[in-house]
Amino acid sequence: MTDDKDVLRDVWFGRIPTCFTLYQDEITEREAEPYYSFPEKDLLHCPSKDAIEAHFMSCMKEADALKHKSQVINEMQKKDHKQLWMGLQNDRFDQFWAINRKLMEYPAEENGFRYIPFRIYQTTTERPFIQKLFRPVAADGQLHTLGDLLKEVCPSAIDPEDGEKKNQVMIHGIEPMLETPLQWLSEHLSYPDNFLHISIIPQPTD
Amino acid sequence: MAEEPQSVLQLPTSIAAGGEGLTDVSPETTTPEPPSSAAVSPGTEEPAGDTKKKIDILLKAVGVTPIMKTKKWAVERTRTIQGLIDFIKKFLKLVASEQLFIYVNQSFAPSPDQEVGTLYECFGSDGKLVLHYCKSQAWG
Repeated sequence: MTDDKDVLRDVWFGRIPTCFTLYQDEITEREAEPYYSFPEKDLLHCPSKDAIEAHFMSCMKEADALKHKSQVINEMQKKDHKQLWMGLQNDRFDQFWAINRKLMEYPAEENGFRYIPFRIYQTTTERPFIQKLFRPVAADGQLHTLGDLLKEVCPSAIDPEDGEKKNQVMIHGIEPMLETPLQWLSEHLSYPDNFLHISIIPQPTD
Repeated sequence: MAEEPQSVLQLPTSIAAGGEGLTDVSPETTTPEPPSSAAVSPGTEEPAGDTKKKIDILLKAVGVTPIMKTKKWAVERTRTIQGLIDFIKKFLKLVASEQLFIYVNQSFAPSPDQEVGTLYECFGSDGKLVLHYCKSQAWG
């Protein structure tokens, strides 16, 4: 039985537990696009590695502002910040997590982070994403689930109980059960920037 | 000799997320959001609550950055950080090639494509969003 640390390592290396086989006639060769113009309105330029590092560190800081009022990341030394970036850049799981694990801790008297860093992306809207304040623990101490989050900030994504499944709720390309506690998802299935990036896509009709 | 408007800024070695990306430097071209002089307006009488309504932003200068005469602005929620940067630069009469960085909570620089409405929801207090702006990187 894998423990949580092994799950982290698997997610890092892209080993999400799925299994599929393609039939020969499902495999197609595709010609490379002959011409590509930079989609100015959709993408930010990446002028240099330093710009990407700065952007990444800002995302980390924003996530920690939500989780810990920035206390944990601000207490770190510059070299710790550097280690996060270098670990990510050089694909070094242990190097990255040696520091990142501190960002996944919370005070003993709490049951989780202050707020969960998440962004929900949808195909049905012009809005770039949904990001709001959402606590991982309810007033009565119950852990909020992924389903609770969607009900609160994106109710259109929830399928009616007796109806057909309209949407897929994806993180890292898989559909976690809606009953999964959000705190657990934040600790174990966040992206390296410490955000949960959640995609809502229409259920494919084969 | 006037410099050619660049689609990619020349940035110094240490850079924040304020790079050019969404909108062209040249003011004549259209920007993603509808150009509207009412998008950023001084003062605030707008009631909060409706997603279409504006949110209040308080701008604070950092370091040797020029201080804006009007600090409090009512801004449409869908205005991006890049849009706000462009506006402040025009207001302060900064050259297009000069950089401007914006910070939330005096700790992080939001991505240029982030909407101010989202930042207000998550990091606003006392009915407004406080943003610090600086011509150089202040909080890394």
